[in-house]
Formats: sequence, C-alpha cells, structure tokens
Amino acid sequence: MHYDLIVMGMGLSGLMAARTAAEAGKKVLIIGKGMGCLTLFSNTIDVLGKIPEEARLKDGLSQWIQDHPDHPYSKVGLIGIDESLSSFTSLFQSPYSFQTIGDRNSFIPTGAGIMRPTYLIPDTMVAGVSGNKKALIVGFKGFRDFYAGYVANPLKWRGVTLSIPDVPNQEISATALSRWIEKRSFRERIGEEVKKRLNGETSVGFPALLGVNDPMGVKMDLEEKIGVEVFEIPTLPPSIPGMRIFNRFKEWLIRRGVNILSGYSISKVSLKGRRCEGIHVHHPPVSTLYSADHFILATGRFMGGGLKADRRRIFEPVFNLPVSQPGSQEKWFEKSFFDEHPVHRVGILTDSSLRPIGEAGKVIFENVRAAGTILAGHYCLDEKSREGIEIATGYWAAKNTFQI
Amino acid sequence: MKGSMRLQTEVLIIGGGATGVGIARDLSLRGIPSLLIEREDFLSGASGRNHGLFHSGGRYVVSDPEAARECIAENRILRKIVPHCIEETDGLFVSLPEDSLDFRDRFIQACEEADIPAYLLSRDHVLSLEPELNPDLLSAVNVPDGAIDPFELVLANAKDAENRGAKFLLHSEVTSILVEGDRVKNILAKNTLHGEEYLIEASYLINAAGAWADRLLKLAGLRMAMALSKGSMLITNQRLANRVINRCRPPSDGDIIVPNHTVSILGTTSVRLEDLEHFEVTPQEVSLLIEETSKMLPAIEETRLIRAYAGIRPLFQSEGKGDDRAISRGFVLIDHEKRDGIRNLITITGGKLVTYRLMAEKTSDLLCRKMGTDLPCSTHLKPIPAMDAPSNLKDRLKASGEAEILCDCELVRTDEVEKILKEGGVKDLQDILHRTRLAKGTCQGGFCIYRLLGILNEMGLAEGDSNKILRGFLEERWKGIRPVLWGSSIKEEELIESIYKGIFNL
Repeated sequence: MHYDLIVMGMGLSGLMAARTAAEAGKKVLIIGKGMGCLTLFSNTIDVLGKIPEEARLKDGLSQWIQDHPDHPYSKVGLIGIDESLSSFTSLFQSPYSFQTIGDRNSFIPTGAGIMRPTYLIPDTMVAGVSGNKKALIVGFKGFRDFYAGYVANPLKWRGVTLSIPDVPNQEISATALSRWIEKRSFRERIGEEVKKRLNGETSVGFPALLGVNDPMGVKMDLEEKIGVEVFEIPTLPPSIPGMRIFNRFKEWLIRRGVNILSGYSISKVSLKGRRCEGIHVHHPPVSTLYSADHFILATGRFMGGGLKADRRRIFEPVFNLPVSQPGSQEKWFEKSFFDEHPVHRVGILTDSSLRPIGEAGKVIFENVRAAGTILAGHYCLDEKSREGIEIATGYWAAKNTFQI
Repeated sequence: MKGSMRLQTEVLIIGGGATGVGIARDLSLRGIPSLLIEREDFLSGASGRNHGLFHSGGRYVVSDPEAARECIAENRILRKIVPHCIEETDGLFVSLPEDSLDFRDRFIQACEEADIPAYLLSRDHVLSLEPELNPDLLSAVNVPDGAIDPFELVLANAKDAENRGAKFLLHSEVTSILVEGDRVKNILAKNTLHGEEYLIEASYLINAAGAWADRLLKLAGLRMAMALSKGSMLITNQRLANRVINRCRPPSDGDIIVPNHTVSILGTTSVRLEDLEHFEVTPQEVSLLIEETSKMLPAIEETRLIRAYAGIRPLFQSEGKGDDRAISRGFVLIDHEKRDGIRNLITITGGKLVTYRLMAEKTSDLLCRKMGTDLPCSTHLKPIPAMDAPSNLKDRLKASGEAEILCDCELVRTDEVEKILKEGGVKDLQDILHRTRLAKGTCQGGFCIYRLLGILNEMGLAEGDSNKILRGFLEERWKGIRPVLWGSSIKEEELIESIYKGIFNL
C-alpha cells in the first residue's frame, strides 16, 4: 500500500505528526518498535521549565528563541508552538484534560520530594500544584517506585504506607496497582484507611497510578470517600499518565484511519537520488516494503534507538543521516553527573522545515523530515522541554510536509 | 586529652581490609583481644577493588615461584574454610598464535615444580568448554583458579572475629601515633562522621593499612618506601566465560578475564600512582583493556560494559638493607623493633587477597613471639560460617521466594536490607552497599538506590537530606560509568538521567 506519509517512531513527536497529517485528510502509516519514551516519562507536558518562575511561558519562549537560534523551538516559532499545544490539548477533553495555570509554569511535587516546574498538567495532578496545602502522602507496601516518607519529608508533609492485604509481602508494579485501584472494592478499602489517618491535612497525594482508563473517575470517587482533594505524583517509569496519553492518541488515530504498525523496526530504506521511496520492515520471516510520498523520522534519541553510539562515534541508524559529533568518547560526558553533557546536544541538524541537512546546509532528502528529541540543539532534560519539543516539532514536520 | 573517649586494648589493628580483618580473626581464635580501627568501612581499599581472582598461583608461577607456592597452598586451605566465598571454576591459560609455545612449556614445567595441578588441553577441547574463546587459539593449560567474593570473605571473617570477641571501630581515622622511647604509647583517632575523638592505649600496634601503610608510619616518625600501582578493570553486564581466562604469556596489561557471579571482570593495567585519594580509569586504559582481552574473547568488543574501576596495589619497594623481614616477594612483614627500634609495632603489607590468611598467620605469629607466648594459629583448620544472605545468585534466587525484592539486578531482598539497618552499625550508604549486593548489577544502583533511600525514610532512619545522599551516590556511580558509555550503556544512562534530572528534578 502507498501512503501520503510514513511516520517512524511512536513517541509523542511521531504521534503528533501522524495526528496533524491525519487531520488534514492524509493517508498515514505510523510504525514503531514500542510505545516510545512517552510511557516512561511523560506524566505532564513540559514546555520550557528553565525560565524565571514568574514569567509567562510565551515571554519565556520568545526570549529563549532569541537567545537560541539553533534550538528546535526556533525552527517552529512561537505561533507554531502555540498551535501545536492547542492541537494536543484539544485531543484531551473533559474529564481527563490538561490545564495550565495562569499561562505560567506550575510546580508539582516529585517522587523525591522536590518541586518541579512543568506546563500542562492533567486534571489528576492539579490539586498538588505548588504544595501550599498541607498534604498527606500515601504509598503502598510492596510498590517500590514510590515512598511516601521520601516524598513527604523534604516538603514537611506526612507520609503513610498502606499494606495491600491481597498482595502478601511481595512487590507490586505500577501497572498492576493501577488496575487494582480501578476496582471499586479496592478503593473502598484504601479510602477508609486513608480517611482514618488524616490529621488535619487538606489534600492527599497518591503515586500517579490512579487507573489508566478513568483516572478522573478514580480520583473523584477517592475524594468522596476520603473527604479531601486527591492528586497524583509522578513516579519512576513506567508512567501511567504517559500510557493514558499514548492510548488516547492511538484511539484517535485508529478512528481516523491511520495504520499503526507496532513492534517492528525498520531494516532498510529505499532511496532514489535525493528522495526516499519506501521503508523495509522485517516481520520474520518476510520483509515488506511500505512506500510513501513523505517520511518523518521521529525515532528519539539513544533510548528510543534513533541515535546509536559505538566507541568511536554517534550515528543515526535508519538513513545514516549526519549527526553533530561532540568529539571523541571521553568528551561526550563531563566529570560530574550533574554537569551539562555535550552528548545531549548532538542530533540531526535540519533546515527551518525540519529537513535534515548535511555540510554547507544542503538538504539531504527532499521528502524526509526529522522531529522530536532526535533533533540537535536542545538539552530537553535540563531545559524541561521534552514533551514541548516533541509536540511542536512533530506538528511542524507534518505541517511543513503538506504545506497545511 | 580532654573530651576524648579513652579506649584500651591489647592489640590495635589499623586497616579494615582482608589483612586487618584476617588478623583480628586469627587473634580472636588465639584468645588475644584486639580492636581494629578503619578510616572508612571494611573493604574500602584494595580488598574491595580487585578482580576477585581466586589464584591458583599460575599467574606468578614463572616470574615468582615463591609467591605461586604460597598461592596454591592458600588456595587449598581457603577451599576448606570459606567454600561459600569461592566459586571453583578452574582457569585456562590460553595461547594465541602470537604467543610463544616455549613460554607455555615453561609454564607447565613451573606449575609442576610449584605443585600446581596443570594439564594441557587441545584447541577443540578448550573450545568445547568455552565456546566464546577466540577460535584461533592454539591450546590452553587448565589450572585450579577460581573466583572469590572479597565482600563476603571479609565480612564473614569480621563477623566470626566479632563473635569471638574482636572489636571494630569503623569510620575512624588515626590522627597521631605517640611514640615514647622504644614504644608506641598512645594512638589518637577521630571519627570521620561525627568528629568524636578517641585516645587509644594499646600494648601492640599492627599497621595493616595497605596502600596507606607508609602514611601511617609517618605519624610515628618512620617511613617505608612503597610503590603504588593502579590497576584498572572493566565489568561486563554478563558472564562471558565460566572459567577464569588468562593469557599464557608473561604477566602484562589486559591478560585476564575473571567470572564474578553474573558478570565478567576484565583486567588489568598497571600504572604508577602518586596520589592515593584521587585516581580514575583513563580512556587509554579502557581501550587497552578492551583491545587486549577481546583477543582472547572476541565477544568483548560487542559486549556492554557496566563499570570501570581501579584499585591500588600496595607494593613494597625493597630498601636494599638486610633489616627487612621480607617473608617473600608476595608480602612484607616488618618488625619495627629490628628495623627502627620500636618494640611494639608491626607492619604487614603487599600480598594477594588469596594469601590474606597466611599474612594474618605470620603477623600473629610475630606478635605472639613479641608477647612471649606460643599460642598456635588455627585459622587454617576452623571454617568461617557463611553470612546470613548468600552471595551467589543461585542461592539468592532460592531464598528470594515470596519476599519483596529491592534490587532486581542482584535479587537483594528488602527484608535483608531492613535487617542490616535494624542491626545498626551501618553509618552511611557505602556501608550498606558493602554489606549487600545492592547496586552491583546491570543498572549499578540506578533504580535500587532510590528504593533504599525510600526505605530509610519509611523506617525513620534517614538522617539529613536524602537527596544530598542521592546526589552523592550518583556522582560516585558516575565515576565508574562515565568511561564506558556507548552502545547500550548510553541508553541506560539516558534513562537514569531522565529519572533523576527529569522526573525528580534533582
């Protein structure tokens, strides 16, 4: 089958690219090895945390773009970023929607009891913002990715750990707990337990696993039983809120007729001159060629497999696109873990429409664009900009592909 | 000394490595009371930073047959007294096409003379035993090498010594040694965690400070010439061979691969060192180790490395005088009465992990002669009980059963850690890491350290700022990981950074 667009990578940037193209009526195939890093980290939508606390995001972004001409945000521009975020939020309607408070970054508690800036917050986390209120933090015995005391102590809150009677003395995963908590009878029990332990607290924080399918239903039901506001706190991977985002995209894309090919990687690409004609996907024991007019590479960084490194260099394995190099291996990382490591700024260099470029700024393939964290020129971890870059560049790559 | 705590002991041992702890146990079996003082924790020096080779003696048999004899004799004893610390893997000395077969023949001959059981294996036979070996190899010699767990060895020794009355003072640094006439009179020490000062009166002082032996003697106005040699090693994320793999050639860089539980350790280099406190594995050493060891096991080129680390070999430089009581070139026992006229001071240094017991025996024998007793050594006869938590994965798997696992890489149980915490005596994060296999696996503590700090907070044992401790741990971990970040390690690193810098905003 021939497509208008093939998107490679099923993280947030790939999903946004597919959504943008599908919305314009294009025939789209999205292919991914897994569910992308979305399901590991994306609890909320960071856009740009590294701006003054009181600054409006628009002002912060506009200054950032001025100061960082090679940053992915500078290619997309303020208007494009704004449009892309609107497109994202419009996908999430009540009851599980994303909010921003006063067009500024909000601070939410983390699993280490540190407040962290982020921009778009799901409704389940809003009551935790800024941590002004006195909160009781609830953990579960056997759930090893969240410790109520660890969260509560630095914030001068109180933590309690509940035992789960049906899970005797063994570890339990976030996904399992999120299924348990979707059961009314389970909520009944923990609601009662938590209520008994309240001591003047005006809100209760749970690890972010209040169900995959109906988190607001779970939250409201718990609030009714406990009698105070309930909020979620992001934990170690996997990210249940990230799964909610992934599932919502998937549901929408399927309804729009987008083909989804999940669990396979690209073995080879078919090139002709300065164009890509198709990709070969290996489904053992056969290989299939999928052809398209356009391609978007959104395979992520090292974790996603978009970039690879051997002892000598960093490379892009699908098209072998040029990757900016930070020098020899000993220069990739600085001496302190908390330094800014040069390796995190490398990636694919592109023109303003996100087409990869080589030496002297020459476009390599006319019909291939790159989107997401694989792009060069950002340090999303430090900037707190991961999801924003993914949403904005995924949107921008598709928009430019079809001149939408 | 006003305000300092006075402690009295018959024998003060300085240094909590295998040697010091071995002496504490030896003395406890003879009924001689001792106190051991250690600046950090057990195993903080070379005892905790080596490749865990359970020497047959083969490695030295050509160059240093005396040390080789000691090794094989101790090898036989340790198999009996600490079987729980040893994996009896055997070792191969592999000859590659560029290696001299003359050396191999000399090697076999020397093994025979040193009483090391050695036999030649054909290429096909070797490859059937260890299929990952370079198929171009010519032959290999099998010797009774093995793998030893230094952590379990030292901790089990310490526990048994403690049960027999030995005392330990950890995290305490000797700050001065007061000599009066021909005797060491008092020792001043300071707790490095809370600053408490100690005035220690001891009839005898044993310097078992390893690479720090010379520094310690300086406090008493003495000196000895030591050559400090850094040896660097790399850890793979899986076990590439079941046996110890040695290169059959004169000892050189990158000629050994030691299996250790679920991983392999690639070693070693030898670099002269001046600064004892600040040293790291250089990119050149990493390249050299990969290039040399992959000649024996080609899969190393493609294997994920999880850590690089280095230890310091405390080598004794011969002073060219007749006043040293060098028992062998393997280790050095100095009676400072004969050398410097200080009647109650002994220094023991050098040696191998596998000869720690012999070093303790010889030191204790010398001490007994000074004390005028002839209490005999019995460490070669009395087995050391195993620790509660087994160190090998097979037993850990069995023991994990229904319990909650804290560290998935190494199957460390939550209750095992809680027990250590409840018993007390654990002062900082490193202490816990020395006493469990936490953070020794593939993720190098990336996940389980957060969990450990979580438990400490839940148990109300977290003192100070947990995130400061977490930052400190991540920096320490970084030292070992940074030199080997490429391939799939770089993926894991992005994950760990995303957690701590991203999700937690640390």
